[in-house]
Amino acid sequence: MLTPFLVLTMSFSFAQEKTISGNVTDQDGLPLPGVSIIVVGTTKGTQSDFDGNYTLTANLGQTLEFSYLGQRTVTRSVGAANVINVQMEPDAEALEEVIVTGQGSGIERRKLSTTVDVLSEEEIDKLPANQIDQLLQATAPSAQIRLSSGQPGTASVIRTRGPISAATSPTPVIIVDGVRVDNLNSNPELGINTGGASVSALADIPVESIERIEYIKGGAATTLYGADAANGIIQIITKKGRAGRATAFFESRLGVMSATRDFLKYERTGEALFENGISQEFRVGVNGGGENFTYNFGGSLYKDDSFNQLNEQVRRTFTFGFTANISDKLKYQSSFSYVGFESNLDFNANTSFSRFSGFEGAARGNLDELTDAEWQAELDRSDRIGEFVDITQTTNRFTASNKFIYDFTDNFQANLTVGIDNRNTVQEDLQTNSLLIALGNIAEGTTDQAEFDRVLRSSFTATADINFTHRANLDNFSFVTILGGQFFRTTDRQNRIDGSGGVDGTRSLNNFAEIGFEDFVLENANYGLYFLENIGLWDVAFVELGGRLDRNTASGDNTEALFLPKVGVTYNISSHDFYRNAGISDILSTVRVRANYGEATNFAQPFSQDRTFAQEPFLGSPSFSFDNPGDPDLISETVKTTEFGLELGFFRDRLFFSGTRYDATTEDALFTPRAAPSEGQFDQIQNIGEVENKGWELELRAVPIETAKHRLAVNVSYNTNENLVTDSGGAPEFVVGGFNVLGSVIGEGQSLGFLRGTAAVLQDDGTYEFETNAFLGDTFAPNFGTIGLNYTWGDFNFFANADYQFGGKITDLSFLLRHLRGFDDTGIPEELIGTTSPFNYVNFFVFDNDFLKVRTIGASYDFGELGNGLFSNVRLGFTVTNPFNFTAGDFDPETTGSGIAVQNGFASGGFAYGTESPPRIFMSSLRFQF
Amino acid sequence: MKKLVLIIFSGLLLFGCTNGWDDVVDFTQIENPNLSESSVVGVPNSSQILLAGTDRELSFALNEILVLAELGADNYVNTQTFFSQFLDGLEMQATDPDIRDTARDIQRLRETAVFGLEIVGPGDPNYTSAIEADFNFLEGMAYLYSAMYFSFLPAEPFGVPLSAAEHYQNAIASFDAAIALNALPEYHLAKARANYYSGNQAEAVAAAQAALGISTDFIRSASFDEANPDGPVNAFENALYQRATFDDLQPLPTLDFLDPKYSFLSPTEDAPVHYLKAEEAYLILAEANLADGNETAAQENMTDLLDLITTREVRNIDDSIEQRIEVDPGSRPDNASVVVNGRDSLVLDRQSGNVNIPSVSGTSLTAADIPSITADDAGLELLYRTRQEVFIAEGLRFADMGVKLILDENEILINDNIADGDPGTRPVIPPFIEAVIPDLDAITYDPTTGVATTVIDLTAILVANKTSDLVLPFH
Repeated sequence: MLTPFLVLTMSFSFAQEKTISGNVTDQDGLPLPGVSIIVVGTTKGTQSDFDGNYTLTANLGQTLEFSYLGQRTVTRSVGAANVINVQMEPDAEALEEVIVTGQGSGIERRKLSTTVDVLSEEEIDKLPANQIDQLLQATAPSAQIRLSSGQPGTASVIRTRGPISAATSPTPVIIVDGVRVDNLNSNPELGINTGGASVSALADIPVESIERIEYIKGGAATTLYGADAANGIIQIITKKGRAGRATAFFESRLGVMSATRDFLKYERTGEALFENGISQEFRVGVNGGGENFTYNFGGSLYKDDSFNQLNEQVRRTFTFGFTANISDKLKYQSSFSYVGFESNLDFNANTSFSRFSGFEGAARGNLDELTDAEWQAELDRSDRIGEFVDITQTTNRFTASNKFIYDFTDNFQANLTVGIDNRNTVQEDLQTNSLLIALGNIAEGTTDQAEFDRVLRSSFTATADINFTHRANLDNFSFVTILGGQFFRTTDRQNRIDGSGGVDGTRSLNNFAEIGFEDFVLENANYGLYFLENIGLWDVAFVELGGRLDRNTASGDNTEALFLPKVGVTYNISSHDFYRNAGISDILSTVRVRANYGEATNFAQPFSQDRTFAQEPFLGSPSFSFDNPGDPDLISETVKTTEFGLELGFFRDRLFFSGTRYDATTEDALFTPRAAPSEGQFDQIQNIGEVENKGWELELRAVPIETAKHRLAVNVSYNTNENLVTDSGGAPEFVVGGFNVLGSVIGEGQSLGFLRGTAAVLQDDGTYEFETNAFLGDTFAPNFGTIGLNYTWGDFNFFANADYQFGGKITDLSFLLRHLRGFDDTGIPEELIGTTSPFNYVNFFVFDNDFLKVRTIGASYDFGELGNGLFSNVRLGFTVTNPFNFTAGDFDPETTGSGIAVQNGFASGGFAYGTESPPRIFMSSLRFQF
Repeated sequence: MKKLVLIIFSGLLLFGCTNGWDDVVDFTQIENPNLSESSVVGVPNSSQILLAGTDRELSFALNEILVLAELGADNYVNTQTFFSQFLDGLEMQATDPDIRDTARDIQRLRETAVFGLEIVGPGDPNYTSAIEADFNFLEGMAYLYSAMYFSFLPAEPFGVPLSAAEHYQNAIASFDAAIALNALPEYHLAKARANYYSGNQAEAVAAAQAALGISTDFIRSASFDEANPDGPVNAFENALYQRATFDDLQPLPTLDFLDPKYSFLSPTEDAPVHYLKAEEAYLILAEANLADGNETAAQENMTDLLDLITTREVRNIDDSIEQRIEVDPGSRPDNASVVVNGRDSLVLDRQSGNVNIPSVSGTSLTAADIPSITADDAGLELLYRTRQEVFIAEGLRFADMGVKLILDENEILINDNIADGDPGTRPVIPPFIEAVIPDLDAITYDPTTGVATTVIDLTAILVANKTSDLVLPFH
């Protein structure tokens, strides 16, 4: 464990030579290992050890130079003192943060014209969440991430630059170490329907052992990825180990989960269903290596029994990664992860089996008005049902990435990445006779009508990418040239078996009288060639030219490969020597402008280009029917984005502003308009639309306090989005979500998925007129952002983050149901009640979806070395998740689980309904570092 | 390093020397597992398989029709459901997706039958005249439903909307084509119905007699598949009997003893909908006889009808989950002592043991009532009440009311042959129905006295307006 780090010792004899020792720390006072210390003008030098200590010999009057990547180089003269301690400070200029995602090969951030949100290891480790979208929820400054339910593994709506597509999930492509992984953020096509909440594939992407997360948001940043990347890319880069003394940690997290009751209509709903639970997690990690081999291992076990009577989840993970220098020129990096995730769900939202939506939607009457005896009967009924609800999901996911890096010369490198992701899920829904009797669905005494559904889904993705990178530096010019080819293939196989006519007491389909079967296959191969040229001018301005030739098998026979260009320019004005030397640089330390144009695509669901027929079994015999009408001209929709950006840093970047204006147009947008009834055919997806998204992404980061002991950092982001369907290809407005008469709709001249329904409009004479197809609001909030705070006082750290949105609309469906059932007329004009269908005044059920939610508040303290050096550090932490919610309405505008149940469906998030909000979690963590 | 290059080079050389390696390294090979047209056209037995598919489309169409038609009629009221919220009050909007789906499924039935007749049948070496007859019959059913439920509907993709009268004529032509190939009683009855609603009394009587001449107890049913996840399951059974979704359809208390016509059958098969049955022929004959003043003959027809009904299946079911109503048990008539409109034995007690419910036809008419079927309005009312009872949950009451649905918004917008404001874009509701819309399903009920009263007697209203072109076509 105490392997010494590479230490250079040189011993020469000179006159007046003396031994100097000292300690090197970073701006926070933490030891900085690996700092290069040289005696200027000699070949003498050393490096600081793991505790930041160094020793070397030098002559009086000589100069020591302390240098470290990302820190300002410090020089000190050797004087009388034998101890020279140095505190280094970060150097934004020298930081040279390298961005990998979307570049083919790594390129320094300051050379890029596009923006990227980065989440560091440190930030990730202190967040309590175990799901990648939850990690990013209030930490990615320009992303809107809305969890659709409080049930385990919940699916989410993620978007950055507005709704760009009506045909695909807005979830970004997720890449782990260069390998695409399954990102299904909804129920699978054949998945078990709980009425609302679905378990997302994002719930079992490993979040341990992450070195950093890079999030690029479409446009030019994603051009090189081509297909499917228009929604952006989230890349997870895992730890591969660091050379030096092996380190290890053990962490225990213990939490109490308590339901969020802020949004309940009836307190009694909580009384019936909620019950505080415990979450427990153990994590271990080992990291180390030598000159030619570094490694990292991480593992975790997680379990909770949720905030209600029913939900439970168990997660088991392990990951390992390593880097091996096979030869001087060939380096091999590999990572592997396994995640096992088991959870169960309760019925919720859009099914009468749901107790939660039943209570909140007044299917059981006005709970406040029930007598104690009546309520006790309801409680008993609810408990009887809860005892038998049995919807489970088990997922096993394996992800492996292999990367070979070959340096032909110092300037010429080849990268080959090959990897796979395999995710296998089993969902089961057992509806025993007992359950169905408890629900009142079948008569008391029935013993042979149990149902058992099982869904098997196997998702397999193979990725290969090869590219060649050449770097050249001429006097005033630098060139990075990247040429590559990329390929991925996804296969999604789903089988669903429905057993019926069973007795209770079995989970084997063999025991069911009748078996129904369905399968579903999606398969797609996507391949393309890309190139990128990044030209540096005097190391201050950079021009990017690139493109991708993109082809995939989800296109029609009449189509050809798409060429997706990108071009960008960045000008780091403050990098000029004259500027750095001028007085103004002390005030305005960073000035950077950038602009770019780029294209990225989304492809339609595979096979939707083909004309097909179905042969359905009908009472045991085959039967043909028309299936997909097909479209040989079907091709990916292309999002063309123009961006302008400005970055300004003040007072050595202690106040940093970043602003981006984007203008993205989705051409050949994939719409699925309703066929005319006279055709008698199903609806066909077609490239007939055009969607426009424009907006601002503004971020402000500030460090108002920075002293030796204290550091306070705050960040605020504000984003806007204007979304408009500029062309619907002549198709009349069509519903893409929601309900029959109150839908989320696509229509020319409106935002994508706007709310539409019949509105009752008060006339001057006091009567109401009913306006059919009235615009009731945009479902996506056009204004949103995050707020974060981080305060460090010595070894103490306090942090908090929040996100907010405003300007959109949402339907409160529980209220609508309460009203339909005659139990809640809040705000409805008396003249309307009982005189016409409530669906003729749906405008009274639509509210603002504004909110400000504090997602996490946390604190930690580093005790430092303990146990006689056994532990190099012990960290104690506390976090509270979802402590405060401020919303415009009485309901939770995030709980839209029932709206994202469809694979590759459009998720507007315009309908809040019948599912629990994410819980409050009070968590403590204790981390022992060895 | 040289070694590495050598290894890679050797590997590539080996790859090159291997035959059939393309399959292994061509990662872009994708196969759509679904059926293409070439698997359906020109293949032996494909017409039989498509015929099964066409029958299935008819089942889908009935699922749409029945919900709208039964809610739109006085038969059922919607107390808490996402099945149509509008038709209960006969509100028709071009944007109503239930109306759209009804129009689409009827026309999908037509398109499938036409595809069978024109493409698949002729290409199938095993095509038979019986299959061809059934394709013609099912095409005819699509026209028949077009006419029964819509005032105007196209008869081809993006076609000119045809009136109900034109659709009835098309239906009759298709049924004649079917009869010419294979004379089945249901083909004659379908033709009788088309003539009945067209007011062609003589043709209707002839066709009804022809049907009964072949069989006096025939039934043509639409089947429903409970085992196939894509169904179709019997949606109206879900609405009437099950408790799975937000369904609580309640019958008019005078019809309580006939509900639910559809109940659990087996894990494989849902209860069928008997969409053409011999009873209808007797009722057409009886109505024609009354119209001609021939009371004795009408009474004979009705006696035959009662005889037939006694042979029909009565299911003994546990319906204790029906609470009249689920949200507020006991708020509607729910026990055998209830008297409705002064009549007893119409309401069943479902909480004390199994109940007997006719699954094909049932009626409160008794042999003792037959002499009351006279050629006056009272007799006609009795006949029409029986007609309502026999056809409950089969969608005929709606057509008997003379109400017709409107064209879908998408059809109006996409189809160049239609403009908003055209006759088919406006609902057809007879004025005497319009006047009583709020009361169609209305009842008063006092649970303590057990007295229930329907606010109106729609049968009486229909008979009172028998001379209208829109109802009672023989009068």
